[in-house]
Amino acid sequence: MQAWNKISRMPAAAIKKMQDELLQKIINEEFAVRHPYYRTLFGDTGINPAEIRGVADLSRIPFTEKKDILAPPGEPLYPKQFVLEAPQDGEGKGKKKGFSLFGKKDDSSDSANYRFSSLYYTAGRTAKAVPIEYTNYDLDNLKEAGTRAFDIFGLTRDDTLINAFSYAPNAFFWQMFYSTLGIGSTSLQTGGGRVLGLEKILKAVDNLEAPVLVAAPGYALFALQTLVHFGLSAENLERVIIGVDYAPMEAVERLKKMMESVGTKKNIVQRIYFNSEAKSGWAECEPDFGYHTNPDHVLVQIVDPESGAVLGEGEKGEVVITHLDARGTTLLRFKTGDIATGGFTTEPCPNCKRTVPRIMGDIERKEFNYELQGKDGVFQFNGNNLRKKMIASENVLLWYAEINRNGSEDSLKIVVKGVSGTDEAALLKTLEQELQSEYKVPLTLESSSLDAVVNKIGLEKFITEQIFFDNRNS
Amino acid sequence: MENWEKLSKMPYKEIKEMQDRKLRAFIGNQIYLYSPYYSELLKQQKIDPFKIKGIEDLRHLPFTYKWDIAPTDEDPKKHKDFIIRPDEEVTEKYGHLAKMSMTGGKDLVEERVYDFKPVHIHFTTGRTALPTPFVYSKRDLENLRESGSRLMNVFEIKNTDIFVNCFPFAPHLAFWFTYFGAEKMNVAGFHSGGGKIVGTNNLMDAFEYLRPTVAVFIPGYCYYFLREAVKQGRDFSSVNKIFFGGERVPPGLKDKIKELLNQLGAGDVSVLATYGMTEAKVAWGECPSEDHYYGYHTYPDMEVFETIDPESGEPVGEGEDGEVVYTALDWRGTAVLRYRTGDIAKGGLLLEPCPNCGRTVPRISSNIQRKSEVKEFSMTKVKGTLVNLNNFFPLLMSHPDVEEWQVEMRKRNNDPFELDEIVLYVAPKGDVNRDKFVADIRQKVLRDTEVSLTDVIFKSVPELVSQLGMETELKEKRIVDNRPT
Repeated sequence: MQAWNKISRMPAAAIKKMQDELLQKIINEEFAVRHPYYRTLFGDTGINPAEIRGVADLSRIPFTEKKDILAPPGEPLYPKQFVLEAPQDGEGKGKKKGFSLFGKKDDSSDSANYRFSSLYYTAGRTAKAVPIEYTNYDLDNLKEAGTRAFDIFGLTRDDTLINAFSYAPNAFFWQMFYSTLGIGSTSLQTGGGRVLGLEKILKAVDNLEAPVLVAAPGYALFALQTLVHFGLSAENLERVIIGVDYAPMEAVERLKKMMESVGTKKNIVQRIYFNSEAKSGWAECEPDFGYHTNPDHVLVQIVDPESGAVLGEGEKGEVVITHLDARGTTLLRFKTGDIATGGFTTEPCPNCKRTVPRIMGDIERKEFNYELQGKDGVFQFNGNNLRKKMIASENVLLWYAEINRNGSEDSLKIVVKGVSGTDEAALLKTLEQELQSEYKVPLTLESSSLDAVVNKIGLEKFITEQIFFDNRNS
Repeated sequence: MENWEKLSKMPYKEIKEMQDRKLRAFIGNQIYLYSPYYSELLKQQKIDPFKIKGIEDLRHLPFTYKWDIAPTDEDPKKHKDFIIRPDEEVTEKYGHLAKMSMTGGKDLVEERVYDFKPVHIHFTTGRTALPTPFVYSKRDLENLRESGSRLMNVFEIKNTDIFVNCFPFAPHLAFWFTYFGAEKMNVAGFHSGGGKIVGTNNLMDAFEYLRPTVAVFIPGYCYYFLREAVKQGRDFSSVNKIFFGGERVPPGLKDKIKELLNQLGAGDVSVLATYGMTEAKVAWGECPSEDHYYGYHTYPDMEVFETIDPESGEPVGEGEDGEVVYTALDWRGTAVLRYRTGDIAKGGLLLEPCPNCGRTVPRISSNIQRKSEVKEFSMTKVKGTLVNLNNFFPLLMSHPDVEEWQVEMRKRNNDPFELDEIVLYVAPKGDVNRDKFVADIRQKVLRDTEVSLTDVIFKSVPELVSQLGMETELKEKRIVDNRPT
């Protein structure tokens, strides 16, 4: 926290200088020497690591994408190419040891820092998850990132917390666990609906008089909506922290209203953005003030998803991460597939005054952008926008969308379950009127039973609900 | 907490003296003052807490039963009365640390109170009763870490080992005990959350990626997992230890597991057993041995065990069969005294040094009939006979011709007034003579449970795996009671 107190108040120029130094150091002392994949890449592409002197030179290095890390069939050990090798015996013996930034011991050649400790997996929807190795050094960084996130949220040890993030061997669950343990608050690690089930989670909120619930946005909304059904109360609930899945401002607003309507003590909603490959998550102090990054751990850039050009502050683009201080699995210029709608800013936060770079706007997934074949040609369908609209529709409890092929044309089917007491026919009609004009393919809306929708989207089966079903190739 | 190396070499006389001392302090300074339930109980029963001088005096305290702690719809927060908590609500009634504020100041009081604050929660795993929370303070988590590392010490696990934790993720003891123990030992690994969380194939991929030396499982799922791995021709040659939790491990199952691991390329594999319970907040390891059963090594600085006659409640002698009764020692958070586990230790409590490893800590006999294996209906009346459902486990898990099985209790025609029926669903291993197989199974079930099977229904392995919920349930459904109530 000593480092955090300083870093979060450093001027932007000092942060930039720090990142230049860290980047130069990690590229020359780690990636060029101990990283099987990048060492080879540098050799193959003629990149001289000594010439990477700062962030401005980073564009010389090609992007890394998920497909580059995935193990090809029959090669389960392939992802180990992205893991830093431990120093050889005696390496660095003559090297002067000292203290670098903020008193953090400069012991980069200490082989214990490179020793594998924990294995996590990415949590994406790609068919294969990618193993991400953590050393104890990385776990310390993860714990530090968690402590920082809780500092940004303003949580204290007096806050009892129910962690309803689905259990997965992934940074999002473990950061939340380490944060609560570090801060010393009472916490229940439920493992989410697929482990404990909704009723037990809600009972825990009620019986433990918990002021904080952590959940994916869709699950949090569903949980609060069903409180009455279970005859339970959340009167001590003050705050819901959402993340792991798409969490636009519409979800924040709807949750706030929902909290008010079920009689929670306060209705604070905060967001956290996790990226498995970044090995930690970033918190917002208040919704829409941006995700506060850890500039000493990870460099974040925003690029044009098509051309790869680095974009200016405030421009919408794809989040690209580069590790500045990591061991185990480490990555350079990794394209996350996440789109930051408000880009990036190095201005101090107008709300909390912290000076760390912030990722602005909502985080959209590129994978929810579909090309649909209409009568008049192909057009882009941004599923994120549809999600946003449906979240904002207060009478929609749960839903999903199917993309189907009818002859030479695609069609869209949206299946909805309204909140209890809703006139579903009227709801479908309203939605149809709102959506029909936007999509240039035939659109149908249907209602379905609660059980059918819950099962279809895997609300209590998957890490996050599955909303889009592209049936065109099935 | 004591130094484990020292503790495990201490003569029993010294261990007992230590337990007497710790028990006096625990009851006088913690339980009596800050445990609402026991404080009230001692007053009600007019028991002077300061007359509890040692573990022999425990018999003056009444037993605590599961239903004393378990929440009910009427009293969902009952568990709070078992939490040692010098907070305002309790101390208003029972005297207060706040008195210190006269001398130490508010901050000191707050820090002292914080030492008791729950930071971590586990639940019991009952199928019908509401789950009961058991909470840990920060100090308790140190006990949990220490006990985990002690168990690994008994199992001779080193920090150079690599392990995969395949216990299903839940706020339950098994997963978290393994996690905290490994953390303390600095053993590298993968806390998968089990097949339900990551999927069986991904778990196999993780084995091949990590090449673990130690794997931790629930026995039923392990058997399924290894069979699938054999089918896929996987390489698990790195594995040299497997330890189990959640259910007991019949000898026949150990052999089956070893045989499968041999087929997966592993050499001489130790199959190890643990015994644990949510109420005790820790688990204990059975002393490793290929051909003998030396019992589970307990942690006498953290608990006192008694074995009693389950009917009369009177203590039984060393080595005599009896119900295991647990008393917490030097814990914060939830703490129970004289808790009736319902588990019967055949061979009782052993106080002699372990003939296998020489450790001197008290041991619980390896042969424990666990109530928790079949939960609330461990002793159930079927066809008017009281049936010990535990007996199905060793019989069917060890049977050389049984690949998977499930027992269903139902009523004829699903009519609550009709006769009970007991049906065995079974997937035999390889080609068997079905008539002979059924005759053998019927005869053995009658011998071990004293009831006759109504029917034996053959199923394929995939059908039974799905019926058991092997990939979907936290724990497979081995015995299903479908009798209408």
